[in-house]
Amino acid sequence: MNQLLEKLSTCVEYGKVDLKSPYPPAMKDQEGAFELTRQALDAGISPGNILEEALIPAMSRVGQKFSRNEIFVPQMLMAAKAMSSSMIHITPYYLSGETKRRGTFIIGTVKGDLHDIGKNLVSMMIEGAGWEIIDLGVDVSTEKFIEAVGNHPGAVIGLSALLTTTMENMRRSVAELREKFPDLKILVGGAPVTAEFCHKIGADHYSPDPQGAVEYLKQLS
Amino acid sequence: MGYSRGAAPEPLTEVIGEVSEDLISLGDVRAEYIIFTPVKCNSFIKTVETEGVVFNVKPIIFSQVKKAEEVALFICTAGPEAGERSRRYMKEGDLLRGYVYDVIGSEVVENAADRMQEALRASVAARGMNITNRFSPGYCGWDVAEQHKLFSFFKDNYCGITLTASALMNPIKSVSGFIGIGREVIYAPYNCSMCDDKNCLYRGRKSTRSEGPDTSCTGFRSV
Ligand code: B1M
Repeated sequence: MNQLLEKLSTCVEYGKVDLKSPYPPAMKDQEGAFELTRQALDAGISPGNILEEALIPAMSRVGQKFSRNEIFVPQMLMAAKAMSSSMIHITPYYLSGETKRRGTFIIGTVKGDLHDIGKNLVSMMIEGAGWEIIDLGVDVSTEKFIEAVGNHPGAVIGLSALLTTTMENMRRSVAELREKFPDLKILVGGAPVTAEFCHKIGADHYSPDPQGAVEYLKQLS
Repeated sequence: MGYSRGAAPEPLTEVIGEVSEDLISLGDVRAEYIIFTPVKCNSFIKTVETEGVVFNVKPIIFSQVKKAEEVALFICTAGPEAGERSRRYMKEGDLLRGYVYDVIGSEVVENAADRMQEALRASVAARGMNITNRFSPGYCGWDVAEQHKLFSFFKDNYCGITLTASALMNPIKSVSGFIGIGREVIYAPYNCSMCDDKNCLYRGRKSTRSEGPDTSCTGFRSV
């Protein structure tokens, strides 16, 4: 792999945002994801290649290490922050249509539930895998989920719930979404959710963590 | 957050220090209990009743509280700022600080619950009584929807906490539950095998808390 891309990938994996950032200490005073992405573009590397060869693999390694309990949420967040500093340079290419996303992922925490940390982690990792994220926030009604799917044909949807009481609202939302959009792919997750529950309510996939969600989407794209 | 002592990456330790100081300085923490007596325990259907309200606590909790003569119902909160600051920092892109507010908010409310429990223990000890562990709706098989029964004992907005239809407390960094009181009840060392949550993030992990390794459910321990 191109040395610049290799370096960029390492910066994202270890959360080195930019030159000013003192973290991680071993990379202090070195350029970070922000500068290296600019340099890669200036060197004529396409945004698509930067994503495919540096950024997405870096976030994938982060997700895998998190799944194996080798790193924890703070390191995942530091990587996501470095990734987003790269995206400052990449986003204009998405907006102009020159670079394509892998797909659109709509996510929200179900009606009656205000938990958002888990949902945010899932969004960050899926965004890091090259998907556009439509984050509907917390306490999302079925109508809002339906409207978002209507506005983004072909999107995949993800529902998060953290309480057994709000899992009931997840069941209702999934049932109505399924009725309106029979081919919609529905992913569910959150601490009390299980594969068995997912199956029972007619969702397509349950993932206990962000990496599982990324892998599921990889199969679809 | 999962790290063993000394293994946290920089700047985590520094951010934890700043956030902890900030949350403590806010003085938003509230923790209260109210003692009710008498208590009727039905060992056939594993229920605990006081003031005409029947809690379906299920077998794991029932086995710990069945000899209670009184029950202390409690609610505790770290206040609204932990959650609000967490969300604000996350939105502004300071993901790490936002997350630390979330985690420290949980620690603050758990600590408040620990201190409230200790105050209760000391106060009933003066009457020759012991306390059980503390138990919360949503743990060990006790349906989280029973929070509605629990909240029927507290005035609206007690300690600044409200309960939604889906049994979620607002502010988010809040805990509720009860503690059995009696001459023959005991405080049992907590053990993950008591809990039925096989997916718990903390399952089997040794506690770093001061009570020692017997209290390993640190998310919100049901003890
Ligand atoms: C779309 O696809 C996907 C795919 C994956 C998805 C996904 C979507 N969404 C999430 N994921 C997944 O990816 C994320 C990253 O790995 C994960 O997201 P999480 O959001 O799960 O993970 C976060 C990043 C970290 N995890 C957390 O922050 C939650 C950890 C645990 C231990 C936990 C904590 C820390 C707390 N709690 Co409590 N708490 C528990 C939790 C048990 C557990 N071990 O998970 C849970 C959520 N709590 C529970 C309960 C019952 C309660 N808690 C309460 C309180 C608390 C604290 C305040 C002490 C504290 C903070 C809570 C908060 N929300 O901020 C109470 C409610 C609070 C309220 N406001 O109403 C109370 C009701 C107890 C009480 N009566 O006081 C349980 C809910 C299940 C139920 N029975 O309904 C619970 C699962 C514990 C259990 N073992 O039963 C995955 O789930």
